[in-house]
Amino acid sequence: MQIIARLYALSKRNVILRYKNSLVGFLWGFIKPLIYLLIFIVIFSAQFITVSNYVLYVTSGLIFWFFFSNLTAQSVQNIISSAGLIKAVRMPLILLPLSELLSELFNFLLTLMVYFVVMYWFGMQYSARLFLLLPCIVLFSCFSFGITLVLSSVNVFLRDVGILWNTIQPALFYLTPIAYPASMIPERFVFIIRYNPIYYFIQLVRTVLYESSALSWTIWIQCATLAMLSLSVGLFLFHKLKNQFIAAI
Amino acid sequence: MQQYKMEMNDKLILVENLALSYWHNNVGVHSVKDLLTLRKNPFTLKPILHDVSFELDKGQSLGILGRNGSGKSTLLRAIAGIIKPQKGRVVVNGSIAPILAIGAGLELELTGFENIKLLLALYGQSKNMAEQINDICIFSELSHEVLNMAAKCYSAGMLARLAFSISLANDCDILIIDEVLAVGDKGFQEKCVQKIYELKSLGKTIIFVSHFPDEVEKLCDKALLLENGTIINQGNVNTICNQYRQLF
Ligand SMILES: Nc1ncnc2c1ncn2[C@@H]1O[C@H](COP(=O)(O)OP(=O)(O)OP(=O)(O)O)[C@@H](O)[C@H]1O
Ligand SMILES: [Mg+2]
Repeated sequence: MQIIARLYALSKRNVILRYKNSLVGFLWGFIKPLIYLLIFIVIFSAQFITVSNYVLYVTSGLIFWFFFSNLTAQSVQNIISSAGLIKAVRMPLILLPLSELLSELFNFLLTLMVYFVVMYWFGMQYSARLFLLLPCIVLFSCFSFGITLVLSSVNVFLRDVGILWNTIQPALFYLTPIAYPASMIPERFVFIIRYNPIYYFIQLVRTVLYESSALSWTIWIQCATLAMLSLSVGLFLFHKLKNQFIAAI
Repeated sequence: MQQYKMEMNDKLILVENLALSYWHNNVGVHSVKDLLTLRKNPFTLKPILHDVSFELDKGQSLGILGRNGSGKSTLLRAIAGIIKPQKGRVVVNGSIAPILAIGAGLELELTGFENIKLLLALYGQSKNMAEQINDICIFSELSHEVLNMAAKCYSAGMLARLAFSISLANDCDILIIDEVLAVGDKGFQEKCVQKIYELKSLGKTIIFVSHFPDEVEKLCDKALLLENGTIINQGNVNTICNQYRQLF
């Protein structure tokens, strides 16, 4: 019970801090993908006429990408910026990244609701299949949380990690087939996609939101494996390092 | 730490052979070479506390004295369970109020009220939240206007008032004070000292870090003197305070 109250209070703090002195606040969650979408439509849509319903293709990828990118970018600094709390309050430290996940999930769900309406115009079909989005979100959250744990705990000791992550994030974005179809990549570079875990999750989301072909088990199993792997590595590292956080902040 | 609870009933706090070290980061721009050649481990362990042992009975108050950097704040954090010791053990037989240090735990970007709610939730509440917020407002003597301001706009004394009032909001057996009284104005200092005496007369234990031996002599039954992370002497307050005065 107390854990829930603590998580709620911490998540609320994150939300307040994030949108402090911001004019549109939550709407940023909606506007960010929209801006990218417009840019892509202007630049790319003539290029990729092979993709049927390009707008829906891009949107479904973008909103999930931004969940991942917002979460990781914000929580890289999470432990460091909570130095005051860590030094004063006795609490399970895992609550800090967890609260970051919760507040970003909250933000994401609001965004998703808006896009549920918008995507109808783009040609998304309302059907029972959309409920599969729920396990998608759970798996993607586990995966992102694992990455978050690694980034936020290692960044305490080596600040290069935060800088490095912010630098490679755009590269990661363009290495993931979000704005372009995966089939466009030349044969000899396909391995890049194959080793990009985010690609699998974007693919999974698209089987629910974009495609209407039969569901395949393989992609679900791949994503579940990735999620478990990332989560266990993250938890392991975090627990190894957490006792020394206080020495470095 | 909690699992030892049953073992001892008369002792309130028992610290045994406590040793604590911090990772010291050697990574810097000039040491990238060391990192690459792996000639030097980028992290070394820097001992902060070693072989610290003491005990405290119920209702007793403890003063901790020592030079700057002797490890007093670190010891307090170990007692409060914020840092896990590498060696030895810390047994506490009661609830500990949040450590009182200047601006402890306050989030400077949040307003006073938001801070109060956040910290009360994190510390765990023993009473009704609205009631506690009201108590905090009254004790801190900060107006609603001030409490609606971001904490970064507070003066040092206002921060101390807020931190002090929040830490006192819960009923706890042990109160830990880390040289916080110095910044409040005269009125608030007297109010705090009075409150501390009131809590002491209620049978609560106070662990008091201060650089003013006179205050320690007034408030504490026992004292210990830290030097470079070890206890060089402990016992009677007057002896320890005199020894502390002779350090300088
Ligand atoms: N994050 C850290 N990393 C490495 N060493 C640290 C860290 N924090 C504190 N220390 C070292 O630990 C020792 C004790 O620090 P501590 O804050 O406990 O001192 P203190 O007795 O409270 O001093 P003061 O009277 O100034 O408050 C100091 O030598 C300090 O250099
Ligand atoms: Mg100190």
